[in-house]
Formats: sequence, C-alpha cells, structure tokens
Amino acid sequence: MNEILIIARKELLSVVRERRFLFSTLVLPILLMPLLMFGPFLLLGSTARKTQEDVQKVAVVGIPPSLVEELRKARLDPIEQPDPVQAVAERQVEAALVYAQGRYTVYGRLSGGATQSALVVEKVRAVLQAYKERQVAERLQAQGIDPGLLEPFQIETRDASRPQERAAGLLAFLIPYFLVMFIQSGGMPVAVDATAGEKEKGTLEALLAAPVPLYQIVLGKGLAVLVMSLLSTLASLVGLLLGGGVVRARFAEPLAAFTRGDRPLELGGSLALEPLGYLAIALTALLFALLVIALMLSLGLYARSYKEAQSYISPLLLLMLLPILLLQFADFFRPQDWYFLLPLFNAVLALDAIVKGAATPVQLALTWASTLVHAGLAIWLAYRSFQREEVVFRN
Amino acid sequence: MIEAVDLYKSYRRFQAVRGVSFTVAPGEVYGLLGPNGAGKTTTLRMLATLIKPSAGTVRVAGFEVGRQSLEVRRNLGIVNGGMRVYEKLTGLEVLEFFGSFYDLWGSKLKARIAWAAELLQMDQGLLKKQVREMSTGMQQKIVIARAILHQPQVLLLDEATAGLDVFARRALLDFVQRYARLGKTLVYSTHVMSEAEEVCHRVGFLDKGMLVYQGSLAEALKLGSGSLERAFIRRLEQTMAS
Repeated sequence: MNEILIIARKELLSVVRERRFLFSTLVLPILLMPLLMFGPFLLLGSTARKTQEDVQKVAVVGIPPSLVEELRKARLDPIEQPDPVQAVAERQVEAALVYAQGRYTVYGRLSGGATQSALVVEKVRAVLQAYKERQVAERLQAQGIDPGLLEPFQIETRDASRPQERAAGLLAFLIPYFLVMFIQSGGMPVAVDATAGEKEKGTLEALLAAPVPLYQIVLGKGLAVLVMSLLSTLASLVGLLLGGGVVRARFAEPLAAFTRGDRPLELGGSLALEPLGYLAIALTALLFALLVIALMLSLGLYARSYKEAQSYISPLLLLMLLPILLLQFADFFRPQDWYFLLPLFNAVLALDAIVKGAATPVQLALTWASTLVHAGLAIWLAYRSFQREEVVFRN
Repeated sequence: MIEAVDLYKSYRRFQAVRGVSFTVAPGEVYGLLGPNGAGKTTTLRMLATLIKPSAGTVRVAGFEVGRQSLEVRRNLGIVNGGMRVYEKLTGLEVLEFFGSFYDLWGSKLKARIAWAAELLQMDQGLLKKQVREMSTGMQQKIVIARAILHQPQVLLLDEATAGLDVFARRALLDFVQRYARLGKTLVYSTHVMSEAEEVCHRVGFLDKGMLVYQGSLAEALKLGSGSLERAFIRRLEQTMAS
C-alpha cells in the first residue's frame, strides 16, 4: 500500500511542477466553463434585446400605408427599394417585405443559424400577424360576427416533467457530458506521462527494476490519474455551477429573452436531488473513471511515445461521446434495463437518469455492477500490459 | 554473485540470446563486450528480471531470477545508457523516491546519499536542483546513485558512459573500480573496448546472441597481442571460419 502511495505521489509531484498542465486541467475549466456554456446565450440574449430596441431598415414593395405605419410603430424603418431581395442579400437592409397577388413574402438572410437578419424577420412577422388578426377581427365585426368565434378554446403547454428534471435544466445534459469529458481530459496527460512518457524519457526501466510488485506500480499510477481526473472534473463542475449563479444574477435581462415552455430558461440549472442522488452520481462517476483510467494506462503503455499515446487515447474520447450524442434522442426510446450493462454507455445513461430523478434501483445496480466488472477487467488488462515485455520495451 | 546457465531469449523467430553461460564472483568486474545488437542489453535485462529468459537459469546474489524476482531486485542495481530519472523532480526527491523502496528513510537515507555522493564525486548541493536543470553528467550520476543507494550486491552497467563528457566518463570508470573494491559483483557491458581494458577483470565476447569467448582480461589481451579490440575481431573471425 505504501509503495502505491509513493508512486502516486511521485506522479502527482511531476504534474504539480508543470504549471502549464495545472492551469489547463484545474484553472482553465473554472474560467472557461461559464464562458463556453453561457457566453453564446448571453450574446444571443443581448443581440435579441438590442434588435427589439433598435430601429432596423426593411425594404418594402407594394405594402399599404396602414402596414407601413404598423412597421414604424414596431421600431422598423420601411424604405421603398426596387430590388428588395438584392438589398437583403447585399446587407443594405436586414429584411424585406413584398406584397404581390394577395401574398406577403418576408425575405431575410436565414442561412447560418441565429443571425441579426433572422431576428428582424421575426420582428416583421410579428407585425404582420398582429396586422392580419386585426383585419380579420374588423371584417368579422363588419359582418356582425363575434371575432371570439375564431377562438373556441385556448391552447396551453405546460412542463409535466419530474421536479428534479425541471430544476436540472441544462445540467441534465451537461453533467453526463462534463463528467465523461473531464474524467478523460483531466486524466489523459497524467496517464500518458506515466506510461508512454516514462518510456520515451527512459525512466520506466529504472522503476520496473525496483523491488515493487507490478500491481503496485499500476495501482500507484492509476491512483495519480484518478486524483487528477476527479480534480479536473470537480473544477469544471465548480466552474459551471458558480458561473451559472453569477450569470443568472448579473445578466438576468439578456437571459430573459430565452424561455422554456412557460418559464424562463434556467441556465446552468440547479440540482434538486436527495443526498443519495449525489452519492449515486459520485459512485457512478468514480467507477466510470476507474474504467477509463485503466483503458488509458493500457493504451498509453502500448504507445512508444507521448504523441503516439495521444493518438490512441483521443479516439477513446470520441467513443465515449457517442452515448452523449444518443442521449439527445433519449426521449425517442425507452431505456431497457439491459442498456445499463453496456460499458461506457451505461454510465452516461445512468447519470442522465439520476440527474432527472428517473433512475431505478435495478438500472443503478446493473450500471455499477457492470462498470465495476469492466473496470476490473480494464485494470487487469493494464496490469497485463505492464507484464508484457514486448509492450514495456516497445520503443 | 551471478550464475547464468545456458540462457536463451527468442522473439518469435529471432533469437536475441543463444546459450549464454557465465559466472561473476564478488569483487569482480565482468565485461560483456560486443557490437550493437549483439544481445548485451537483452542479457542484462534478463539478469535484472525485466524480461524473462526463454530458456536457461540465472541466479543473482543467491536468488533465482523468475521465481524470486523481488529478492533479486532488492540485491541488484542496473544502469543503462538510455536510462534517465524524473526530470521534474529534484535530485534529492529522485533519491528519496527510489530509496523508499529499500526502506531507506530519514537519517539512514541521508547517510546513504552522502556515501553515494562521495563514491560518485557528486556535489550534494546540486541535488536540490530539478533534474532538468542539471548537466548530462550530473543527471547520469543521479541515475547511478539511484541504482547503488541500497548498496546492491550486484550492479549491472550497460553502455553507462554513453553520452557522457570526458569528466563524467572518468568519474564513472573510477566509480566502477571503487565499487568492485567493496566486494561487489559488477557486469560492465560496452562496445568501447578501451573502457573494458581499464575496469574489467574478466571479459566475455558476445556476438549475434552467442558468447564466443570468455576469459581473464590478461588472457584476452594476450589473444589480441595487447589489444582487446584485436582480440575481439580475431575471435569473431575464428568463430565465423569454424
């Protein structure tokens, strides 16, 4: 046991001496997470608000003076243009509105996601919709018909998901994503340095010649990688939660532009779990980390150099991101219990279910047992790799 | 002491070591000489329990390699030319790290570091520096100090002077002679014949995995009319002719 701690301490000491690595693993996630997660929303929220407040030019052709007036009231500047479509394309105006043969056509630059032009198009459409509704109401009233006839009932949409799922907000997706990403990215440099790095620098042979059983060397290195993985993950979650709080408190106004059903979007979300829920997340993440770390050590040791090890381990991250991508479609399939036996996929699925308060005891038991077995196999594989001289001396 | 009997090492169809047998007594420096790729490193790695022989037996300091690997490692030190120590650690931290595997702590460790420093003519003040800030010669001294900190009965040196400047090389050759005088068993593997002439008591010529000659240094010099290099070439020519 003592030797395991001594080896882990040495690996961590090497990491601590590398400030660049410490910064990218522990400091950067805290700083970067809020920016990455909330930056786009803040930018978009601010742009949306500005679009509502500012006056934008709109090319118009053939529209009646009453609609021109409505557009002006909605903080738009209608200007006659001979070729409105070209004016939009050449960015002379943000949108265009053309009336011909009983049809209003709104033009905008709609390729490339959320553009300023798209926001102005929505502004024009809102004016048109109100204009249309008012005309319908006036014509019905002229015929002596109650406009209310067109609305025999109200339609309302409400969120009926579990309270935990509702409270979690974006976290329901982000927590599995971050755990998977940071467990690997935080541990990878240490895993590579402790294996391929040692081979490349010529330090591994001296360690293997010391009177330390191989399993203790593997466990010592694994412990160091685990510590860095968990610290990096913790740093990213702290960044996310603290960042979410700060952003919500300081940028409430731009964020008000985003709604989710009948209420504002909870950026960053807030976990509303029982203590057992948090324990379940920690245990799932820990077992998952053991599996990933053992795989990284095996791959790292097989590689001849630092670069080669990175090229082996990077696809592992892509492989682990696959289940995350599938989670996007989780609503379209009902998770069967056997899904929770699949390595890597089960941990992501279980984390998602725990955060949403939907995990069943069977699902959790299957996930933990399966991950424990697979982690054990992966650790054995790493141990076997250290035993294989054609792997250890492959350089 | 070391007793290697009929050692073989194969990698699929390639035989790196073929039937090598030799013994080295306490207080003796045995030169394992041969060109690059002759099988010197493979042989030493087998002695050090780092790789398993395909056939044959080895006893190091009375313990059998394979069955008593940990006991062998407790009584053995190994240094090779490509071996390095952790560059981000200080020299002292490296020695503490390896010393801890041999139950060397506190005052005992301090005394051993002082002993190794004297033997290697190493400035102890430099041990506070990180290894990456040290000269190549000083780094190599740390590599050797790490290997002898537990005062092993058997020391294996494999191309240990590779990359060293003239001063560091001289210090190493002096150290080899001093360490042997302490009654330790040394194997000195090199392709530089002049080094072997200086430090070895007995030599073995290794070529293509086979030990083609072994005898005392005096006998080998006689074979080569005063030159170990000539002796080596003559012996190889005789082997090829037969």
